[in-house]
Amino acid sequence: MSLKTNAAAPRASERESARRIYFTLAAIIGGVVSVYFVLVPVLKLNLAFHFYLMLWITMASAFNVASGFSGYMPFGYVAFYGVGAFTTAILVQKLHFPVLAALPFSGIAGVTLGLMFAPTLRLSGIYFAIVSLALAGICRLVITNLPEEVTGGSFGLHLGSRAEPVLSFYVMMCVMLLALGTILWLSRSRLGKALRAVRDDAEAADMMGVNVVRVRLYGWLIAAFFPALCGGVEAWYTNVVDTETAFNTLTTAKTVIYAVAGGLGTVTGPIVGAFTMVWLDELIWREFPRINMLILGIATVLLVLFLPRGLIGTLLRRRPQWRRYIP
Amino acid sequence: MSATKTTAAAIGVHGLHKRFGGLVALDGIELEARAAEVLGIIGVNGAGKTTLMNCICGIYRADRGSVSIGGRDMTGLTPHEIAHAGVGRTFQIPRVFRKMSLIDNLLVPVLDRNQTDRALIERAEAMLEQMRLIELRHNFAEELSGGQQKLLEMARMLMPEPKVVMLDEPFAGVHPTLCRFMIEQIEAIAAGGKTVLLISHDLTSIYRLSHRVAALNQGRVIAEGSVDEIRGNPAVVEAYLGA
Repeated sequence: MSLKTNAAAPRASERESARRIYFTLAAIIGGVVSVYFVLVPVLKLNLAFHFYLMLWITMASAFNVASGFSGYMPFGYVAFYGVGAFTTAILVQKLHFPVLAALPFSGIAGVTLGLMFAPTLRLSGIYFAIVSLALAGICRLVITNLPEEVTGGSFGLHLGSRAEPVLSFYVMMCVMLLALGTILWLSRSRLGKALRAVRDDAEAADMMGVNVVRVRLYGWLIAAFFPALCGGVEAWYTNVVDTETAFNTLTTAKTVIYAVAGGLGTVTGPIVGAFTMVWLDELIWREFPRINMLILGIATVLLVLFLPRGLIGTLLRRRPQWRRYIP
Repeated sequence: MSATKTTAAAIGVHGLHKRFGGLVALDGIELEARAAEVLGIIGVNGAGKTTLMNCICGIYRADRGSVSIGGRDMTGLTPHEIAHAGVGRTFQIPRVFRKMSLIDNLLVPVLDRNQTDRALIERAEAMLEQMRLIELRHNFAEELSGGQQKLLEMARMLMPEPKVVMLDEPFAGVHPTLCRFMIEQIEAIAAGGKTVLLISHDLTSIYRLSHRVAALNQGRVIAEGSVDEIRGNPAVVEAYLGA
């Protein structure tokens, strides 16, 4: 069958132009965001707010790999975060690692935990979600029951005099940029396409030659790496780690809400979602400190009801031609 | 379509058995499709046509028996390994990747190819043009009509240039105009030297396209032969009409 067409040349030029716009937009937005965050400590803006803004952008974006790209709903996502936080804390406090040397081990711990959880990837839907939640509970129990001299028991671990808010802020920024770069790459890569195909129909993808087990595992490990790093950096930033906060289910809930608010399956969705919802949370907290959770809850319900695909997801559904420029 | 001169068996199915609990879906199927042949599979609902296709693709693991493609034993291989061996298929109800663009849908079967993305995209665009879907290439597959999804599946199946293609009810629920277009496409596929396994309830299309036809009933091959032989076969008439 001959597949040569006269329209191939204009389409190639159109593709090249779309590619140029895409990367120009990514560079401009990435540059502006980086400069903004770099200037936060310099301009003495609210450091804690911006630190957590970056943390939530990273968490929501990494969650997007597990959920938006791979089709899983890991309700126990906090397990990676908690294990990452404790890894850094134990290495720094008990084994006297420099913090910056300890942080990569948090990421490795997340990946290791991801490998241990990998057999659950054969599950799907609500079954996977429940098992994931149970495994996070198990992680929390295991760490709680480890000897007090290792994990600090119910009091947790204090990192002593190692707190460096500004440096940890910049490290968080690096983690965020690394996560966003990875996810941007993933969205255009062959692995990303395979993941999305598996998400949409694993059996059909298998019959199209996609190694479903391997592809799911790669996606899962990417999704496990970044929350563990976030946990490590946050432990450094706050200088204290305990099981109550490190394995708090609210961490998963916020991650899910922020990612869904922006739009799962898009790169920009979780960024916009985290940005919007963290700002909204801050605003509500400032204006209505007593009922902030109630208002935030109502806002989330309304968002899901009226924009079930999230802010970016809805936009791209209404403007399909923008999908080439907005990942 | 006139019979072609062929030698090697492109698809070989030998003694294939498959049960679902107490239901016998395939009961010792023996079937061969020669290279560059269009083999039509007919049978009433529940005869075992789709189960047979699923066993060939590796989606179902047969209880007994073997499947070979181009003389190579495929028994026990996973669906993606069988796909890499050169087997492509479509589904009775289209199973497109709903939240992926048409271009990305077509790229999925060739993701492991050692070709540049650009070359693959150009091929995907050419395939979409051939299927008259080029204008919709940036849309999500879920935004297509049922008939368009069938065409997209056909294009996706052809992307990796398989040696064997299996079409499961390609004309089901399709508008007559689109049906004619699909028949032309299948004729072009067959003319390109691929072996085609074609399942359909549309006997007119099956008889027009097939070199040979096999009739299934209750998991068994009850008749096999040329279109004329099958058309007049009393066992086939009885299975269809219950006479």
